[in-house]
Amino acid sequence: MANKLLLCISANQATAARWRSGRLTDCAVFDNSEAGVAEFRDYAATSGNAPAFVIVDAVEEDYRIETLPHATGSDRAQMIDRKLRQYYRGSPYSAASLIGRDSSKRRDDRFLFSALTNAEMVDPWLAVLTECGLPVGGVYLLPMVTAGLVEALGEKASNLLLVAVQPVGIRLTFFRANAFRLSRLSRSDTDTSARDKAVIDEISNTRLYLHALRAATLDEPVSVVLLDHADELGETTRAIREANLQCTHVGRAALASLLKIDPELLALSPSVLYLQLLGARVPSNNLAPVRVTAGYQRYQTRRQLFIASAAVAVIGIAWSGYNLGDRYALQNRTEDVTRQTARVNADYQQATLQFPSAPTSAENLRKATELADRLRTTEVRPQGFLEVVMRALESSPDITLTELGWQYRKGEFETGTVAAGAANPAPASGAPGGDLRKQSGLITGQVQDFRGDFRKAIASINMLAEHLRKDPAVEDVRVVQLPLDVSPKIALTGSTTDVPSQANTAEFKLVIVLKQPT
Amino acid sequence: MTGAELKALRGPLLVLVLVLAAAGAAIYYSNVLRGQSQTVLVQQQNQLREARTRMQRSGDEKAIIVQYVDKYRQLENSGFIGDEQRINWLAALRNANERTDLFGINYEIAIQQPYPYAADLNPGQISLKQSLMKLDFRILHEGDLLRFFDALRAQNSGLFHLERCVMRRTEDGGPLRYQPNLTAVCQLAWITATPEAPSGARP
Repeated sequence: MANKLLLCISANQATAARWRSGRLTDCAVFDNSEAGVAEFRDYAATSGNAPAFVIVDAVEEDYRIETLPHATGSDRAQMIDRKLRQYYRGSPYSAASLIGRDSSKRRDDRFLFSALTNAEMVDPWLAVLTECGLPVGGVYLLPMVTAGLVEALGEKASNLLLVAVQPVGIRLTFFRANAFRLSRLSRSDTDTSARDKAVIDEISNTRLYLHALRAATLDEPVSVVLLDHADELGETTRAIREANLQCTHVGRAALASLLKIDPELLALSPSVLYLQLLGARVPSNNLAPVRVTAGYQRYQTRRQLFIASAAVAVIGIAWSGYNLGDRYALQNRTEDVTRQTARVNADYQQATLQFPSAPTSAENLRKATELADRLRTTEVRPQGFLEVVMRALESSPDITLTELGWQYRKGEFETGTVAAGAANPAPASGAPGGDLRKQSGLITGQVQDFRGDFRKAIASINMLAEHLRKDPAVEDVRVVQLPLDVSPKIALTGSTTDVPSQANTAEFKLVIVLKQPT
Repeated sequence: MTGAELKALRGPLLVLVLVLAAAGAAIYYSNVLRGQSQTVLVQQQNQLREARTRMQRSGDEKAIIVQYVDKYRQLENSGFIGDEQRINWLAALRNANERTDLFGINYEIAIQQPYPYAADLNPGQISLKQSLMKLDFRILHEGDLLRFFDALRAQNSGLFHLERCVMRRTEDGGPLRYQPNLTAVCQLAWITATPEAPSGARP
C-alpha cells in the first residue's frame, strides 16, 4: 500500500500522520498558527515525496443536494460547472458528486454539492506541502470520510446521526439509508459541565434543521451514535437516552477495534480517527482545484508508468522464464531421445554383424542395381527411326538422301547445320521444346531428274512426307525446306531467263518426330 | 502537456521504454532458444524413428544385401558404379572399331556433369553423373552405325545412352568397293553412379 501524508486541519489545530503499510504512524498535532505551520514544514520535509491528502473540519462548509437533468460527458460537466460557479463563486474549494438517480419518471441525476467557503484556512498548509514538493492528492471535508465509519459500525438504522465532540465544537453528521445527507459543526461549549446539554441541544437543532430541509421529519426515529474517543461521554449518552432518543455509545476501545487503530493515537487527537478513515479510503468529493492537484496528477502518471514498467518486466520475466523452462524440458527430452537412438543404433550395429559383407548399404545396393536395369531398359536406339525413313523411301524411288540426323532429347531436331548440331549438349531440364525427351530427326535429300519441274519435285517431296505421316510410329512431319519456297510470307526472286533444265537437283529438308514409346 | 510535466515524466518514460525493450529482447531471445531446442528435438525424434525403422527392417536388409550384392559388384566392375573408367571406354572404342571394320574413330570427351534426367529415375542416395562423348567416324552404310554401337555395348565397359547421330553422304564417294560413303557424327552419354553416405555399410 502506498505511503501517504495525511493532514486534518481544524480551526485551532492540525493533526498530521504518515500512512505506511495500511497503518497510521508518526502522528503529530500542530497549532493552527504560524509557529504550527513552521513545525509542520519540518514534519513535511521528512516525508519524501509521498502524496498528501487533506481533510478540513470547519464551520465554513456547505452541502447541497441538487437534482439535475440526466446528462453525460461534457454536457454534465458544463452543467455542474455552472452550478458550482452559481453556488460557490468565491470559493475555489468546491465539488459535486453524483449520489444517485431520482425515482421520478425523468430519472434525474442527484448530486451532492459541497464546498469549503474559507480557503484561507487551508492555504498556508497547502503552501507548505507545495514548498516541500509533496503532491496534493485532494482536499476533503471531514464528514466525507465518515461514511467509512458508518459501514464499520454496521448500523442499519434508516436515519443515523453521528455525533462527535471535537476540540472546536460538536460535529453532527446525518446519514439516511447509509447515504450522507448533511453535516454541521456547532461551536458550542464543550466543557464538561455544559457538554451534555449542548449535545442534546445540537441534536434537537439538527433534527429541526433536517425537518426544515425535508430530509427527515420530527416524527421519524433517529438513531444517535455518539463517538467518544476520550471515553468521557458516558453521562452524555445517558442524557441523550433520557431525552427519548435511541443512542449508541462508541468508546475509544470500540473505535480502536473497529478501525484497527492504536488506542494511544486516539487519545492524541480525535482527528486521528478521521485520518485513519482517510488513509483507508480516499473519498470522491475532492474540493481542490486542478492547480492544487496538478502535482498529484504528475505523481500518479509517473507512478502508473513505473507500475506499467514493473508489469512489463514481470511479464517479460515470466514469459522468458516459461520459454527457458520449456527449453530445459525440451533439452531433457532431446537427451532422452538421443540416448534411445544410440541404444537402437547399437542394437542395429550388432544386428549388422550378421549381414554379409557389402560395399554400401542395402538400400544403395538395391537402388544402384535397379537404376542400371532401368537405364538399360529405357535406352532408346536409332533403329526404329531408320526403319521408318527406309520404309517411306521405298515408295519414293526418285528421292535420295544426302544427310540424316537423329536425336533422343527434349525438343525437336534443330534445322540448322546438321553436322555441327551433333556436338551440341543435351538441353537442360526445363529447356524449351517440351519436358519429355522424344525421338526426332532431320532428313535432307534431293529429287532426282528434277529438270526444273518444281511442281513435280514438290509433289514428290509432299508424297514422301505423306508416307511418313501415315507411319504409325510417326507423330509429326514438317517440311522445313522445299526446292522453291512459294510461301506468301517471304519474298521470291528469280529470272525467267533461267534455263530450268540446267538445275538437275531439288533439295529439301523434313523434320520427323516419332511418338513416345508406350 | 507542459514542458515541466514532460520533464517530470521523462525518467519513468525512459524506464518504461528500456523495460519494454529488455522484456521484448528477453522474450524474443528465449523464444528463439526454445525454437532451436524444439527443432533439435524434432530432428532427434526423426533420427530415432529412422533408427527404429532400420532396426525393424534389418531382416529385410540382410535379404536385400544377399539378393543384390553380386549384381552390384558386377556393375562396379563394369564401371557403372564408382569413378569413371575413361581408359576402359577408349579401349572399348578401339575394340568396337576393330570388330566392325570401321576406318578409325575420332573422339572427344567433355567434362563430367550431373545426369540431367536423374530426377526421372528417383535415384535416392545414388548420385548419377554423365560424360558426353562425341564420336566422328566414317562408315560404308547406315548399318555400320548400328553394328558399331552394338559392338561398343558388348564391351561391357560402362553404361551409355546414344543421344544424337548425324550421317552425311560424302562427296568423294568413288567406285571403290570398300570406300566409306558416309560420315557419322554421334554423341553419347556415359552414365556413372556413385552411392552417397554409405550408412549401415559393412565392407
